[in-house]
Amino acid sequence: MMRFLLIAAAVIAIYFLPAGLKNYGIYIVTLWSVYVIAGMGLNLTVGYAGQISLGQAAFWGIGAYTTAIALKAGLPFLAALPLAALLCFGVGLLLGFPALRVQHHYLAFATLGFNILVYLVLRNEDWLTGGSFGINNIAEPTLLGWRISRPLDFFQFTWIATVAMGVLMALLLRSPWGRAFAALRDNPIRAESVGIDTTFYTLLAFAIGAAYAGVAGAFFACLVGFIEPAPFGVNTSLSMLLMVIAGGSGRFFGPAIGAMIVVLIPEWLRFAAEWYLAIFGVMIVVMMVWLPGGILSLPERLRGAK
Amino acid sequence: MLTRRHALLLSTALFAAPSYAADDIKIVDNVELSGTGVTSGSMWAKGVDLAVKEINAAGGILGRKIALTHQDNQSQAQVAKAVATKAIDDEPYVMLGPIFSGDVNVSMAVTEDAETPMIMGGEAANLTQQGKKYLFRTSFSQSSAMPKVANYMQKQGMKSITVVWIANDFGKGGRDTMVKELAARNIKVAADISTEPGQMDYSAVVVNVAKAQADALFVYLNEEESARFLIALRKLGYDKPVIGETVLASQRVIELAGPAANGVKAHVGLSVDAPNRLVQEFGAKFKAATGFASDHNGIKGYTAAYLIKAVTEKIGKFDRKLFASTLHTASFTAKDQPGLLMDVSFDAAGDLDRESYLVEVKDGKQVITETLPPLGKK
Repeated sequence: MMRFLLIAAAVIAIYFLPAGLKNYGIYIVTLWSVYVIAGMGLNLTVGYAGQISLGQAAFWGIGAYTTAIALKAGLPFLAALPLAALLCFGVGLLLGFPALRVQHHYLAFATLGFNILVYLVLRNEDWLTGGSFGINNIAEPTLLGWRISRPLDFFQFTWIATVAMGVLMALLLRSPWGRAFAALRDNPIRAESVGIDTTFYTLLAFAIGAAYAGVAGAFFACLVGFIEPAPFGVNTSLSMLLMVIAGGSGRFFGPAIGAMIVVLIPEWLRFAAEWYLAIFGVMIVVMMVWLPGGILSLPERLRGAK
Repeated sequence: MLTRRHALLLSTALFAAPSYAADDIKIVDNVELSGTGVTSGSMWAKGVDLAVKEINAAGGILGRKIALTHQDNQSQAQVAKAVATKAIDDEPYVMLGPIFSGDVNVSMAVTEDAETPMIMGGEAANLTQQGKKYLFRTSFSQSSAMPKVANYMQKQGMKSITVVWIANDFGKGGRDTMVKELAARNIKVAADISTEPGQMDYSAVVVNVAKAQADALFVYLNEEESARFLIALRKLGYDKPVIGETVLASQRVIELAGPAANGVKAHVGLSVDAPNRLVQEFGAKFKAATGFASDHNGIKGYTAAYLIKAVTEKIGKFDRKLFASTLHTASFTAKDQPGLLMDVSFDAAGDLDRESYLVEVKDGKQVITETLPPLGKK
């Protein structure tokens, strides 16, 4: 109960906190919130189902482009958003079906190849995606006739979506499905021997993870207002994997902490001028060496050190 | 070993916020200091630094000093938007940069809303075609540069051209404009070859270039890619004319490609070897300050900062709206504003016009073969 109250207080505090920030602060917190959604999806695939994916940015891109194209075609955001999620879910199933026959680093390379493929499609299919020029002037979301154009309103809208996606994830993880995911991560042979269809559940985790990236992509497109292929390359997939691992892979709040590391810390370090990315790099190296289980493994690490 | 004293110094350096006097003029440079745009961005930033140092040493603008901060946008549009938003929160007088068109695209929406002038280094044609009122260039757009290159090809009696371009917005924009200009002059595109940003191996591309057997080759790549491509091209022994626009004959490419750059011909909007005393003096100052030669991006950054001075002195006060409205359709002479290096005029879209050059790289140096007058003077 205490834990629930604490989480609820944090969710409400984050909802209101950016009100005191200037537009830059609000933008960064919104970007964080978007990354949290994509991170939650990847955490399901990597942390709970135990599959390494280097293709999360591809799904993020598919979600962003689907939303941008749908909005340009006059569809409302509330129609574009599920469309983005469903398309990513479908593509996740299609990719996962052959790709998930292999595991671990083989799967990492299969998803990496997929990410490059998506990047090339985004860049070369000018008629659909605008090619290298991307898609500009993407409209802000409209809800029942209300255009969400104020940065604070957009943040609060994104945050509500993030919390909703988080609640859905929590329910999923507490369901028999979630237990099946964990079972096949911890010991796939034992899971199979107790009757869990490992292929089905791995595929499902992968596709749901992809759908989360699609939702994040939809918000990203509207937040930045301009998309081009570059943010959806392999580098971003690596950043997202870093986010999940640095936060604490397989821990529910891992992506929220991980996204803080990837999005907020480089911005906060800007005071260090030209050294900021170097300091960020050193921080990551030190953290991974000292805390391989991610930030959320810190209490265990401290208890273990005693 | 890290002593306590070192640690103290380090932490002071890290946490010390830059302090400026209250009446300083805030200028933020939203620039590519990491990521794929770092070659262009760091040159631009050094140009800006040099100009700001000179302006401040000479008493500032209307008696006020410039307080400049560079903010790295990591060559990523979403970070460039964050930087632009951060800049606008601090209410700068003018924002400088970015250079990559994706970064310009997101940043110009932010500065437009805040009615803050933005002087950028992008060359993609579409940037100034969106009706923005606060956006200004520091170099030719592709739509004003490519006709000059195509005219040159036509004059040389070339009937077919192979086009090699880089598959990013810069390369695609240049390629599209060039292909259109060639078609208008009945010059055939013998082969249309796209290459990857960051590509290392150009052997297959070079073989295709040779196979196309065109009268000449037009190359439109970024700096490092241009250098790698030229080296691969020369290894094959390609002997037809190799023509470029600005980047291909830039100092940075000559430096990286070495002898492979010799023989390259190009239209160049900005060059430290231009037959112009002010530009050459700038080139010498830049080299003395940084240890290397400036390319067009260095000149763009330098003139961007001096443009702030020129416009503000023209309007006689610090007023962002008046700054933007005055700069549209304004003309400056290098005699009155030596920091601008050349006579320059701006149109209602924020595009600029000035003289430019046809150059050839000989013995590792740009040699100007012809000076082209500003388009408006034709």
